[in-house]
Amino acid sequence: MSEERDWATHREAKANKLSAMSSTIDGKFAKTSDAKAILEGLIAPGDKVVLEGDNQKQATFLSKTLASVDPAKVHDLHMIMSSISRPEHLDIFEDGIASKMDFSFAGPQSTRVSQMIADGTLKVGDIHTYLELYARLYIDLIPNVVLVAADKVDRDGNLYTGYNTEETPVIVESAAFHDGIVIVQANEVVDKLPRVDIPADWVDVIIPADEPYQLEPLFTRDPQNITELQILMAMMAIRGIYEKHNVQSVNHGVGFNTAAIELLLPTYGEQLGLKGKIVPNWEVNPTPTLIPAIESGWVQSIHSFGGEVGMEKYIAARPDVFFVGKDGTMRSNRAFGQMAGQYALDMFVGSTLQIDQYGNSSTVTNGRLSGFGGAPNMGSNPTGRRHSTPAWQSLRPDNDPLGKGQKLVVQMVETFGSNKRPVFVDSLDAVEVRKEAKLQNVPIMIYSEDTTHIVTEEGIAYLYKTSSMAERQAAIEAIAGVTPVGLRSDPAVVKDLRARGIVAFPEDLGVNRNQATRSLLAAQNMEDLVKWSKGLYNPPAKFRSWS
Amino acid sequence: MEKMHFNYAATQPIERPVHIGVVASGDLEVIMKPTDKKESELNIVTGSDGFKEVWQNVLNRFFDRYPLLADFEINDFGATPGVVNLRLTQAMEALKDEQ
Amino acid sequence: MSNSFVELHARQRAEALLDAGSTRELIGPFDNMISPHLEPQNIVPEADDGIVVMKGQLNQKDTVIIAIEGAFQGGGIGEVSGAKIVSALEHVLADNKAGHKEYPIIILDTGGVRLQEANYGLLSISEIHNMVIALKQYVPVIGLVPGRVGSFGGMSITNALLSYVIGTDKARIGLNGPEVIEQEAGVKEWDSSDKNLIWNTLGTKQRQATGIIDEVVDDDVNAFRTAITAAIDENKDSHRDQRGDFYLSLLDQLDPSQPLDIAGYDQLFKQVVAKPHHLAPATSGSQPGTKSRGRNWFELLTGIKNAHSDVPTVLHAQADGREYVAIVPAEDNRFPRVRHGEVGLQEGYTVASVINDLIAADADKPAAEKTPIVIVVDVPSQAYGYKEELIGIHMSLASAASAYARARQAGHKVVSFIPGDAVSGGFLAQGLQSNRLVALDDLDITIQAMSKASSARITQRTIAELEEATKHVPAMAYDIENYQKLGSLYNLIKGVKGYDSDANAVATVKAALDDAFKSLEDAPADLSFRYTNDIAVNGEGGGRKATNKVRALMDQQW
Repeated sequence: MSEERDWATHREAKANKLSAMSSTIDGKFAKTSDAKAILEGLIAPGDKVVLEGDNQKQATFLSKTLASVDPAKVHDLHMIMSSISRPEHLDIFEDGIASKMDFSFAGPQSTRVSQMIADGTLKVGDIHTYLELYARLYIDLIPNVVLVAADKVDRDGNLYTGYNTEETPVIVESAAFHDGIVIVQANEVVDKLPRVDIPADWVDVIIPADEPYQLEPLFTRDPQNITELQILMAMMAIRGIYEKHNVQSVNHGVGFNTAAIELLLPTYGEQLGLKGKIVPNWEVNPTPTLIPAIESGWVQSIHSFGGEVGMEKYIAARPDVFFVGKDGTMRSNRAFGQMAGQYALDMFVGSTLQIDQYGNSSTVTNGRLSGFGGAPNMGSNPTGRRHSTPAWQSLRPDNDPLGKGQKLVVQMVETFGSNKRPVFVDSLDAVEVRKEAKLQNVPIMIYSEDTTHIVTEEGIAYLYKTSSMAERQAAIEAIAGVTPVGLRSDPAVVKDLRARGIVAFPEDLGVNRNQATRSLLAAQNMEDLVKWSKGLYNPPAKFRSWS
Repeated sequence: MEKMHFNYAATQPIERPVHIGVVASGDLEVIMKPTDKKESELNIVTGSDGFKEVWQNVLNRFFDRYPLLADFEINDFGATPGVVNLRLTQAMEALKDEQ
Repeated sequence: MSNSFVELHARQRAEALLDAGSTRELIGPFDNMISPHLEPQNIVPEADDGIVVMKGQLNQKDTVIIAIEGAFQGGGIGEVSGAKIVSALEHVLADNKAGHKEYPIIILDTGGVRLQEANYGLLSISEIHNMVIALKQYVPVIGLVPGRVGSFGGMSITNALLSYVIGTDKARIGLNGPEVIEQEAGVKEWDSSDKNLIWNTLGTKQRQATGIIDEVVDDDVNAFRTAITAAIDENKDSHRDQRGDFYLSLLDQLDPSQPLDIAGYDQLFKQVVAKPHHLAPATSGSQPGTKSRGRNWFELLTGIKNAHSDVPTVLHAQADGREYVAIVPAEDNRFPRVRHGEVGLQEGYTVASVINDLIAADADKPAAEKTPIVIVVDVPSQAYGYKEELIGIHMSLASAASAYARARQAGHKVVSFIPGDAVSGGFLAQGLQSNRLVALDDLDITIQAMSKASSARITQRTIAELEEATKHVPAMAYDIENYQKLGSLYNLIKGVKGYDSDANAVATVKAALDDAFKSLEDAPADLSFRYTNDIAVNGEGGGRKATNKVRALMDQQW
């Protein structure tokens, strides 16, 4: 018999690393000024490292510290990040500290990401949806080190991550139970936490940060900027989709189109007699434009991926609606939110930058590789779904004995973007970007096969009703306005599609264009939202527009 | 800024002038006045250069659906085709409401 | 808000206020009265040029609403829009003089002068000021500041002249916007990205607490109708342009070298006791004052060497039976923002007190014997500063403009003599309320509505590019020779420069002033000369042709 294998090499390696750093770590606590030395001591060349940062919350102190380490000591890291948001997230590749990246979303840095991939500075493992990336942390991207952010820690090392818990639990768990090292930056150290979001037992090192982690009010839309065209589309969507399909649960993407829907529920929706009948249950961030609908009794529950700056007091005062801990503060969870968004919703409503003639859509334009985020989890039909709801059943094809329902996946776009470039195109820019960035797949956000409805200012295309690709294309053309795709539309075909309910124009839905005015919005500006919230919503200063 | 001129054959004369919209950012004003001419005449001033073809396409569609015979003046401050179409149809609906 | 007034555009605002079925628009979008100045500068015009004039009834009272469209070119006032306002107000005045009660309401949503028609805008705004001051003797002139753009620039001076001003909490009022102050005085003076500071300073909550706006109502059409009706029924007038003693007393207690925050100002504001302020005439001093063209000519025309005054930046004295008034630089002045000759808080109120004293002294004299006034104009701008805006510098400039206008309307002949710069709000306060403008033909004179630096920033050009682009466009020119092509000047004095001081030069200027005053005998006491003279009516280079067209059409449609 050969010598007994050592089955705990990871644990021993971790213990060795930590004991080598024992002079700088007191219990779990390290000094702010020792952060760089800690990272240099605990991260080995080639390690898989998760750096926390989604589109709202960023472990800024740790990302800046990582960018300052000596590349001679720490290099060739394999970074795993749900969002590439800050300059230093990419600086580390230019300095050789990291060489490979698996990620999900690259909003503000998307142009630079494309360039760095093209010139070879950045090697991409793959681009994921949030849920996929979290999933791989437990399969083939198990991290050696995770760098996360907490609001408060107590003397024992328990973490409070509060409203913006987001993805901290899913990241920490993947390391804590597989002998990875968990390093936490903390806004403050306190004697008593409001509640424990992550137990101390899972945490290895805590470093008080020199400033609070970065937090962006990403889901706040000032109603002042909602246009009449967006109101018109929102009216069509409420009549032609929400009401028609009896939708009960929904996710809204970020944008003014869906903000308009939220603000029309208490007015236009009320006029239509829909209150109490549609959308009581939401998987959505606590967007302030939902306040009027919540206050007028439209909403029963909201589960959230993350928090939203300024909504803290309002959420705390509405525990019947939001997920709130015993301590009175909200708890979010991005992984559970994405899971719920994929499997438990009747409908996803989003927006996009380009839709091709077949109905595939992408936000990748002009060489900007923006990634996916969570939209494809919500904006796809989960074929593993087995439970039924009326909305889901309403899309069931009637010619298949084994047929089942389908999730409603709705794209809402104006036919031309504000730059006056057509949204409907023959071929997506993403096709070219795939070649330049040498990606395996064209970065499609939502595939045609998953897209059940498209809403434009011209009308609604009920794609799920089409029986062939040619018919699907004709339906898209009918609502694509004067874009190159729309110009191909044949009036005789449109007439037939309208007669068969595959395409509906505003007049077919009983929507009056002259009613589409801003006075139909339940709130027309931020101050109205504050008033609706009874003063509980406290918008960030950049949204101030009253005295 | 670019000035454009179009003529369209049209069959439905309007009885009274109508005005819709404001020359605000991303918006436009549309003025229609009754005319004795045989076809509709459009004078357009736009702040966004290089979109003549798109204008033509929007107007082709509009006159196909609503062949209003009138003198049109349009002052545009960067409206999208969707907004242009909305204002044109709103002007048309305003004329209908008055009838 | 379900019945929001702020949400509405100008035309809808006018319609919403007036009784249903009572409205009639004058010079509306079908009248083809568009600005002739915008298209040549590649700017899309609007058919009503951003002004809606609507007659109708408000609770059965005859009312004329003048509504500025804030969404078109920031509500900026140009030639056509300005002439629409002025001619409408003139008709309201004439009707009221003839015994027909008619109530004017001005809806302010404006950044002031329209940059592309800057010189026309500034002239128009001074003419609006004149009409508001004249009208207030008959009816309250009510202002509304619903909000979005708010009320800024030269039109904030209009705001201060109005009898009674009503707004919502979405409105801001100030002379210079925070961006302009940051540009002119630096980010330390005012960080324009700090929205809380902006709203806490310029928002109507603070403005109402410190007397800058009279009433703040909910953003609701009926709330406005109710407030307007009450203001009319009670003949409300807050006399905002005549609070000089209060503000001069306040300034006496203020240390301009120390920072002033909102709480500090509120405290100061509450404890001020207004004391009378009168400025003694300038006297000869032993030391020369800070050199300037204004001081040079004030001293030459009054014969006072090294003129010295209790307020170092304001010189006044009588000579040859005329009252001379100059605003001058003072390099060690207590208020740092006026050390280069700008018109600041103290300057506007002090000039107003000088002129008000003169009006009072001559009150019993027949018009022909009232002391003529010479405004010596050398003002590079108004003062740009945070304290100035917090305290409300637009009210100070309004006081000066009001004093000159009331003097002129009472029968004083007022001539502006321009040996130096004549820019922006400074010029509105110190110069543009005269019956006659007389300038030196000196290309060193800058005359405009906005400093070159600000204008260059807003139009995204370098100063050199701006100068080149505006050289041949009188509407935007910066030099006095182009300015003359508008017809605004009574006389352009050849052969004399700003710093000349020889006997010949003095004699030439004195003769020109004599001539200007002589032309005012039996002439109207208004500002009509500017658009009725030959250059204005027929001039090739610009003139006031559009103004005259608007006036004729308004006469016709009224």
